[in-house]
Amino acid sequence: MAAAAAAKIAEVRETTRVERIGAHSHIRGLGLDESLEARHVSQGMVGQVAARRAVGIVLQMVRDGRIAGRAVLLAGQPGTGKTALATALAAALGHDTPFTSMAGSEIYSLEMSKTEALTQAIRKSIGVRIKEESEIIEGEVVEVQIERPATGVGAKVGKLILKTTDMETVYDLGGKMIDSILKEKVQSGDVITIDKATGKITRLGRSFARARDYDATGQQTRFVQCPEGELQKRKEVVHTVTLHEIDVINSRTHGFLALFSGDTGEIKPEVREQINGKVAEWREEGKAEIIPGVLFIDEVHMLDIECFSFLNRALENEMSPIVIMATNRGITKIRGTTYKSPHGIPLDLLDRTIIVPTQPYEEKELREILSIRCEEEDCMMSDNALTVLTRISKETSLRYGMQLIMTSMLIARKRKAHEVDVEDIKRAYQLFFDEGRSVQFLKEYQQEFMFNEMEDREEMEMETN
Amino acid sequence: MTDWLSQLKKAKKSCIVDGKLKKVHFDFGDGREMVEEYNLDTNVVTRRAWRCNKELKGEDKWDVEIGDPEPVYNSDDMPLIRENSNQPIVSRRVTRMNLEWRIRNLPYSLETYSVTADQDSGCLVVRTTNKKYFKKLAIPDLTRLHLLPQQENVTFSHKFNTLIITYKKPKALLELEKSLLEEVEKVQPKHQDMDCKPS
Repeated sequence: MAAAAAAKIAEVRETTRVERIGAHSHIRGLGLDESLEARHVSQGMVGQVAARRAVGIVLQMVRDGRIAGRAVLLAGQPGTGKTALATALAAALGHDTPFTSMAGSEIYSLEMSKTEALTQAIRKSIGVRIKEESEIIEGEVVEVQIERPATGVGAKVGKLILKTTDMETVYDLGGKMIDSILKEKVQSGDVITIDKATGKITRLGRSFARARDYDATGQQTRFVQCPEGELQKRKEVVHTVTLHEIDVINSRTHGFLALFSGDTGEIKPEVREQINGKVAEWREEGKAEIIPGVLFIDEVHMLDIECFSFLNRALENEMSPIVIMATNRGITKIRGTTYKSPHGIPLDLLDRTIIVPTQPYEEKELREILSIRCEEEDCMMSDNALTVLTRISKETSLRYGMQLIMTSMLIARKRKAHEVDVEDIKRAYQLFFDEGRSVQFLKEYQQEFMFNEMEDREEMEMETN
Repeated sequence: MTDWLSQLKKAKKSCIVDGKLKKVHFDFGDGREMVEEYNLDTNVVTRRAWRCNKELKGEDKWDVEIGDPEPVYNSDDMPLIRENSNQPIVSRRVTRMNLEWRIRNLPYSLETYSVTADQDSGCLVVRTTNKKYFKKLAIPDLTRLHLLPQQENVTFSHKFNTLIITYKKPKALLELEKSLLEEVEKVQPKHQDMDCKPS
């Protein structure tokens, strides 16, 4: 009894798990109309009309899929929506087009070289759509039996009886399968298909034979015929894998030797060449289709001169994706050199990119964004408070303004109010410093901090070598 | 001379002799491999297995066409879903004159079953009147020769929970097997001394 209750609780927890709210979780797309003209407020995007239109055209280019190896640079001050634009592009592309997002610093690792990391990122952004035969089981559920051990621990045991109009079979279920059957709430009378390799369950509907089981059924209940013939069928399915996934599958050292091979995660160039050849062959035979995707490199000024020259070369390959880079730097040193260059990117690479600038937001747009964020974070805010918060964001930064939403909401909740008022914003503003006030504070009290005895050496500078 | 026979002749062959069994390995060069096991007393294939290496996923498992499937020792990883062990299971055998299927774990009496030769799909179709079992049995030996199954060659019987379906080999298949056997006899095993001493 207790075990059953515990299981019940676990189940409830599984279904009510909330999604966490990230900095860009309110973005659902680029917010463009059919003629690629940007709507002022749509799909979580506000303002930045010119940049969104430009990204919309890039989107069109990716969808056409004919142009390889173009680079786009999103340049603008901090907090002007560069990452938001990239997130929106990813959302607009849909899940079938590969979109790889990485930060410039991600490529520095002890496991693999910089160029290897970049190559992997590039190959992650190229998809191959392949037709493959897979085995599926299709039938009407006669019975589901799932038994939990009496002690409450240990593996669950499951049986599933399926039938068609011609036959009936009992299946044993593995642990993962039991979980997904519970999650899908499969019950007798449903007509389902199960992909044997991946275990994916698809509910086709309810069997006509069971149409009279309940007096009331939901409107969305679909009734289907019980399938005919054999339960197990072979069906041709289309799925998309990335080039990197194919690389990994083919480069893995087999068996126990893998333990000694000192796998660094690097993939041999021979393997890649072989796969490129194979994919080209399939393409000619019409077995596969190449889907070029998007590689997004945030904080691109963190790449060094070697990476930039590697990118120059990699972009010329016809198998390369559209590369979108974002930076918030002005004229600064190129990492790895003493030369200065716009955006910290060498001129020859800049020459190959199209640059999309982002502008700082207007006050009206800030207000719009803040109210979208309030909605996203489930926060009620009075008009006056929103005006104050907009002013704060204008004078400090949009990010700081967004931080104050949650904090002031918690303050408001403390006084048992369900709406955030100006007072709460003020309190949060006093409690949490923004960057400007923090700098001012440090300047005033510099003498009292640690290690102050040492004289200022040369001027502080970002270490780039 | 059929297409299939020429493929077999072209394939790279190697063999070993293990007691009364001769195992021949055919490599067709396009990723397909086949292994046949001949009983040297009767010159009948006791096992035949295929492996089609998928281009994407490296080496595949062996797919047993004739003979018992590879035994699975209690492996830890339970697959996502599999048939219960007392569900019907099909195995194939070849005798000198016949092709045979045995479907074990079928408890129903003989009148329940019907076996028909389906011309459209080139399969034998097993049906039960109680709607508990249905199976399309492919006949790769005939398909490779582009032959269709004939109803008059099919007989079946039921014994010890097992349905035994027998299909009389057509003349073309007998001739092919004869010439294949000649081909196989040409393949000489490499020397049988062990290279290393098993401890």
